[in-house]
Amino acid sequence: MAAQLVFLESPQGDEIKEVEATPEKLSPLLSQGWHQVPAPAKHETVVLAPKEDK
Amino acid sequence: MANVNELMNGWGFGKQTAIGTANTTATIWRHTNLNTKPWAKVPVNEDDRAEIGKGHEFPTALFKSHYNMPTYEISKYASSEILAWGMAFSLGNVVVTGTGPYTYVIVPALGATNPTGLELPYFSFVQQIRPGGSAVLDEILVGCAIKGWKLSIKNSPGRASAMFSCECVATGQYTTPSGITLPAVATPHEFNAGMITALTVNGINYLTGGSGKQFVSMDASWENNFRPGFFPGSGTQDGYQIQGRFEWGDRAFAIQFVVRVQSGSTEYANLINQTTGTATITFTRDAQNSFTMTVQKMGFNVVELSNTDGIATLQITGVQLYDPTNGLLTVSVTTPQAGICQ
Repeated sequence: MAAQLVFLESPQGDEIKEVEATPEKLSPLLSQGWHQVPAPAKHETVVLAPKEDK
Repeated sequence: MANVNELMNGWGFGKQTAIGTANTTATIWRHTNLNTKPWAKVPVNEDDRAEIGKGHEFPTALFKSHYNMPTYEISKYASSEILAWGMAFSLGNVVVTGTGPYTYVIVPALGATNPTGLELPYFSFVQQIRPGGSAVLDEILVGCAIKGWKLSIKNSPGRASAMFSCECVATGQYTTPSGITLPAVATPHEFNAGMITALTVNGINYLTGGSGKQFVSMDASWENNFRPGFFPGSGTQDGYQIQGRFEWGDRAFAIQFVVRVQSGSTEYANLINQTTGTATITFTRDAQNSFTMTVQKMGFNVVELSNTDGIATLQITGVQLYDPTNGLLTVSVTTPQAGICQ
């Protein structure tokens, strides 16, 4: 099952990042002071498909 | 007159919007408590015995001073609900995901980046005995915070093998009657030591392999060392000064554990070689209820040969180091309870 995604805001409040909500991904960011925020009003989650070999 | 076993406790699983704004009924749950005492309110009076000019040394008048609220212990068998609540309110930086069950990932907040500075989330505490028109006790304490906690795991049967207790503080602000209708007692999803599915400390696995079955007990604790919260404008209750903030001081995270000593025990070597590694403790009850505490970098401060109930043991005191990448501590709790610390 794919990990859920959450929005984190930087400690300076100048950046919002969408992150996989796993302890491994969250620990470094939360420890630097990033914190959870509600999803921005307009956002789009883009799932990048791997490129096919030509 | 009432027996103390009529005492009902409820407190906010959601956080207050401000230190002086009580939780509403919708964000308060009701739990049992192994601490059988009510939370005492202690208004303190002072007098004028030290002042000259009265013609004698004796006090002549009383003056209202402040609410000296004692700490209060919430003592529970460890469960997914209470661990999520205790960790979230005591550590401060919380991420929640899911639509039931909910997973809370929690780390200690940093003062430099925490949106509320050195202050942690606040909750309200309700205590009632026969609430209603002739209540023996019905009050809500506003602006409570978790000062510290202790998680104890030991070799024993049943719920007592995994215990969690919190020391809480309160500002002195309260409302009586509380105006809160407590819900039915919650049924927490409790853990016991038999549900531990990971127990690895500094590279030593105490569940399987050569050190399997060697574990005896562990105590982990957290202390926020709050500073007194009296200051100009901190507020009053009944004419007595109350505290208007709880700011953490030098926080302390301690772990001590006991293992059986055996041929080839590597704990001494880890101490002497100053080996560090992660420490992971996981309880898994089912897909809806689990708890993992990861200490990001742990070394051993003391390893002492001892005797525990007639068995040769090592009593180990850990040193929890701050890892530059992952920080000090990460807790992940999955529980059916929504809205914890939200």
